[in-house]
Amino acid sequence: MCTVAQLTDIMKLARSLVLVLLCLLAGLTASAASDFPQALSGLAEKSFKKRLGAINAVAVSGHERAQTVLEALAQRRLFVANPGKRLVIKTEAGGYQMAVTGEPAGEIAKPALKRVKTNNRLRKVIRNALGTLTLRSPDPARRLAAAQTIFASRDASALPILEVALAAETDIQVRTVMERARAASTLMGSAGEADKLEAISTIRQMGNQDAIALLSAFGDRAKGAEKAAASQAIAEIERTLALWSGAQNVIYGLSLGSVLLLAAIGLAITFGVMGVINMAHGEMVMLGAYVTFAVQEVLRTSFPGLFDWSLLFAIPLAFLVSGCVGVALERGVIRFLYGRPLETLLATWGVSLILQQAVRTIFGPNNREVGNPSWMSGSFELGQLALTWNRLYIILFALLIFAGLYAAMRWTSFGLQMRSVVQNRQMAGAMGIRTKWIDALTFGLGSGIAGIAGVAISQIDNVSPNLGQSYIIDSFMVVVFGGVGNLWGTLVGAMTLGVANKFLEPYAGAVLAKIFVLVFIILFIQKRPRGLFALKGRGIEA
Amino acid sequence: MIVRLLSRSLDHWSYGFLAVLVLVSIILPALHLLVPPGSYFHVSGYAIGLMGKYLCFALLALSVDLIWGFCGILSLGHGAFFALGGYAMGMYLMRQIGSRGVYGHPELPDFMVFLNWQELPWFWLGFDSFAYAAVMIVAVPGALAFVFGWFAFRSRVTGVYLSIITQALTYALMLAFFRNDMGFGGNNGLTDFKDILGFSLQAPGTRAALFSASALALGLGFVVCRLITRSRAGKVLEAIRDAESRVRFLGYRVERYKLAVFVISACLAGIAGALYVPQVGIINPGEFSPANSIEIVIAVAVGGRGTLFGPIVGAVLVNFAKTWFTGALPELWLFALGGLFIAVTLFLPRGIVGLVQSYWPRLPAAGVANRAAKPSTEGSTR
Amino acid sequence: MPKSRFLSTSLKSTIAAAALLSSSALVSAEETIKVGILHSLSGTMAISETTLKDVMLMLIEKQNEKGGLLGKKLEPVVVDPASNWPLFAEKARGLIEKDKVSAVFGCWTSVSRKSVLPVFEELNSLLFYPVQYEGEESSKNVFYTGAAPNQQAIPAVDYLMSEEGGSVKRWVLAGTDYVYPRTTNKILEAYLKSKGVASEDIMINYTPFGHSDWQTIVSDIKKFGAAGKKTAVVSTINGDANVPFYKELGNQGVSAEDIPVVAFSVGEEELAGLSTAPLVGHLAAWNYFQSVEAPVNAKFVQDWKAFIKDEKRVTNDPMEAHFIGFNMWVEAVKKAGTTDPDAVGEAIIGVTVPNLSGGYSAMMPNHHITKPVLIGEIQEDGQFETVWQTSGQVVGDAWSDYLPGSKDLISDWRKPLSCGNFNVKTGKCGGQGN
Repeated sequence: MCTVAQLTDIMKLARSLVLVLLCLLAGLTASAASDFPQALSGLAEKSFKKRLGAINAVAVSGHERAQTVLEALAQRRLFVANPGKRLVIKTEAGGYQMAVTGEPAGEIAKPALKRVKTNNRLRKVIRNALGTLTLRSPDPARRLAAAQTIFASRDASALPILEVALAAETDIQVRTVMERARAASTLMGSAGEADKLEAISTIRQMGNQDAIALLSAFGDRAKGAEKAAASQAIAEIERTLALWSGAQNVIYGLSLGSVLLLAAIGLAITFGVMGVINMAHGEMVMLGAYVTFAVQEVLRTSFPGLFDWSLLFAIPLAFLVSGCVGVALERGVIRFLYGRPLETLLATWGVSLILQQAVRTIFGPNNREVGNPSWMSGSFELGQLALTWNRLYIILFALLIFAGLYAAMRWTSFGLQMRSVVQNRQMAGAMGIRTKWIDALTFGLGSGIAGIAGVAISQIDNVSPNLGQSYIIDSFMVVVFGGVGNLWGTLVGAMTLGVANKFLEPYAGAVLAKIFVLVFIILFIQKRPRGLFALKGRGIEA
Repeated sequence: MIVRLLSRSLDHWSYGFLAVLVLVSIILPALHLLVPPGSYFHVSGYAIGLMGKYLCFALLALSVDLIWGFCGILSLGHGAFFALGGYAMGMYLMRQIGSRGVYGHPELPDFMVFLNWQELPWFWLGFDSFAYAAVMIVAVPGALAFVFGWFAFRSRVTGVYLSIITQALTYALMLAFFRNDMGFGGNNGLTDFKDILGFSLQAPGTRAALFSASALALGLGFVVCRLITRSRAGKVLEAIRDAESRVRFLGYRVERYKLAVFVISACLAGIAGALYVPQVGIINPGEFSPANSIEIVIAVAVGGRGTLFGPIVGAVLVNFAKTWFTGALPELWLFALGGLFIAVTLFLPRGIVGLVQSYWPRLPAAGVANRAAKPSTEGSTR
Repeated sequence: MPKSRFLSTSLKSTIAAAALLSSSALVSAEETIKVGILHSLSGTMAISETTLKDVMLMLIEKQNEKGGLLGKKLEPVVVDPASNWPLFAEKARGLIEKDKVSAVFGCWTSVSRKSVLPVFEELNSLLFYPVQYEGEESSKNVFYTGAAPNQQAIPAVDYLMSEEGGSVKRWVLAGTDYVYPRTTNKILEAYLKSKGVASEDIMINYTPFGHSDWQTIVSDIKKFGAAGKKTAVVSTINGDANVPFYKELGNQGVSAEDIPVVAFSVGEEELAGLSTAPLVGHLAAWNYFQSVEAPVNAKFVQDWKAFIKDEKRVTNDPMEAHFIGFNMWVEAVKKAGTTDPDAVGEAIIGVTVPNLSGGYSAMMPNHHITKPVLIGEIQEDGQFETVWQTSGQVVGDAWSDYLPGSKDLISDWRKPLSCGNFNVKTGKCGGQGN
């Protein structure tokens, strides 16, 4: 670790470096000013190599417009205007300005414009170049991004600029990243052994895959103590990462489990509580997903500002739509079939075919685009755990639904009536409960919950007419495994199956893991024929 | 003795049905082979193939009816036994290709050459002999049914639970057979068959013979089911369907009866699959899909469960409807099929045979259907 | 007597049913030329195949506007094989025997093609198969208008290995577990090794159909890519599974500049089902993109949107394959002067028609066609931008040069050879021989 004295030394060194660098830059700029237009014209070339060279030339030109031009190129706003092969930038306002000077370029007809094409390789070069150019931007977020870019590029030549930037940096977070970037550049450059060993220890503290990647790349060409230190650091990081990966598997498992829970929880009511084998359950989920699509479509065209709130609109609507279809299904078909559970299977299978085809006829057979709201996109890191926002929200959402449903069953008068009808229909009727209405509403509730599940599932899966089919079997497995008629069983069942699947997957592969889980369920049912949380009763046959 | 047994079990309706089957199995192939194309009475290869397929589904439906209609076991995974029988036949047909595959390898099927396999896996050995394959066609589904049933019936898994785990069984098998590493051709399955017992599968004669064989198998299957259901054991099975606990308290070993009939049913399904494969020319894991098994259960319900005639009528009708609708209403046929299922369950609770019986009360076996359709107090079907 | 009445009625109904099935065969097919369309309109494959049915209807309509063929109108016969493979064989037989179609355009999955293949060979009719596939097949009765592996996979890998594509050194071959990815990956693995890529730099992963939980696999890919060498993913992931795969990629922050994904089964139709913003820069290799700049393509896109009455609908590569295949068939029928399959099959070899990327495609003697190979980057509007393309047309290769079982095989359906699996080493028709 550095002492205070060492730190001040470094600061002094840095300050003198800045001076040297600034002088150098000034000289460079003078000589490069005339090269800039020429470098710029290289961007209009057809050949990939020449454009690559031009980007590098623009980046090192030191010209004040270099950053603007490169940013425009990265954002696909740089065009070649014919005739004359002038390079122009499309501004945010929609007009055009000359790339070289920034002066307005006047009206240009669309056919005369040709966008300067980039590809992944070029974009990476641009990103790295912009990294060095924006390292001293006033905006901390951009400095952070720049430091991250330099860390990723491991560009040894960025070292002097990093030193300058570090000396002036006040933001702690940006500073940490810059130090890591400096360590990366040091390792890739020609610094002395002491500097490199210190860099290794900086990198080791990162403790993630990026650190391993950097250290192993360094270790491949290092020798002696440096190599030993690098491999020791790698081993250490790998040990901690192995621990983290267990936790990561649990998270993945919970996430898969929460999707299963969402898909199954509506079925836990219609099948578990009412005993109706509803093969159209998957289609209720599908309807919820299509409601989300429809809501987003309306918002996109009419109220684009509200797009981020689309799911909030979709949830009650999906509940209503699926719930109403559910009530209609109960009133129209299922109520004639009580006491013949297996025949409800046949009729609801017919219903599921009709619903699928109806959606196919209305919305077309193709997948429909359902976007993630911005607050559900991307990921964040917790220690060494990578968590994606949408998965996290789905876990929370599933638990929330579960809690809400549990509370509704337990503490509302509707829940009380529902339970009484299930336990003893005649007696409940005698007490004045309208059992037929309760049947319809219960079925509607189960279907509505399935619709809400569809809103969540639309965020991670295809929205197509086949959506329901892919969840129906899994849902039945969860309910049967957990124990019919018990909400807790469904929760524990879903989470257990999810986590078991994710722990098996790295060893057995996705397919075998799923087969093992199915075989496990079959065997488990032999052991406990009424599932995990069996309802206790005195009947020989429930 | 056999004659006496038969005469006791089969009534004149059964004889009538068998006579029709025999006539069909002679007349249709004759019309296919002897009447020149273009004549009004010519039956095309397409029609023979279609009806052969229907007969296989009818045999499968019959096997489902044996356990569901007479013993209350609703299997939503009977397609698994059908597909296993089909795979056994497919493996035999695959080995018959010999060196006529696209790669011309003398021993390995094309898909193995494709995946760089060097030799036949052990479970493919022996399938070059028809006798061995024929044994496997009944042995493999039978063995699986035995193991599965042994566990399930002993632990008294019944009703919906049993239905769901049979579904899990067929789903797991489907996923397993989809894997290319299993050695059964993965998603593509087994296809491109050339000949069976030395006869080219593309020849009209072979096609006609396969059709007749299917009709014959259906007839034999029908006789077997009749013998079982009219025997003393058949009465016990019906009693198990209606009140399992009471039968157990009377001292019967319920699980043995159930296991026996489940295994027999699986063997029948295997035979149906084996006859199906050479007629459609392909077997692939799609046959294991739970939807197929549900569809055949629906066919049984449409025809009328617990009647043995019903499932045959139902399977032919449902599949004919599918053929007809997918050609005539390609965009809307699922509406028609779904509507048919709903209408039948709502308005024809005892299926078509039940409907006929209500106009024609002398039709036998309907009494069984009558009872089966009533909600049972002990909920044996739950 | 009830017995005899029952007997006679059932006999009558049987005969009636048989007559019903065969009666339509008697209606003569003189007035029109019938064209069969064999694409799933329901079930899992309806997502992809329904569009192809529509494009065929459009092509037939346009041809009829131009006066039909041989002085007769073309009549489409649409059936729904419902993503059920045995049903494909049944429907194919029905189309040929019952409806007497002159040619069939259809199938998407390999298994559906394998299922109908014996039917077409037995009844000697013609099938035009419009989808990229694994190769290793050549039938006298099938014309493969989609890409063979050498028209898609190998050029894509070549591009990624080049400096322009990012000099990729480490490869993830991710696919759905069925025959097309298996074979393509086998070919690519052999090809990469022949280019000096070490085994530990290749990761192969298979997932089931419709796989929707990609968390583990995407994080594995990230880990594999963090080893210091430039890494790319070659994806043969099938249809439905792609949407959750790309969503997971986007959310876990795998950007195209770090780990590009090049897909062989993702086209404009698939992209229409997801928001492409996080995917910009990921790649696809095809023989056609909707964004291709050519007058013939502009007209095709315009026609398609007008025909389907939806401005948002897109065009894709298999649609172009049907466009080429249909025009080739039309030209061959004109050349032969008849729709007889043997005559058309002979006439079609060498027929050259415009493709939609501004060039010309020709039917080769191995029943595959010549096509350019395009690499495109996903754009924010759900379209592809071509970043690289082969300088000329690539000839489809039925038998891969990189698989030990097929490297000596060629296919040539011209007389006198007329063989789909001719072994150049043994000089015999019929595969490896003994």
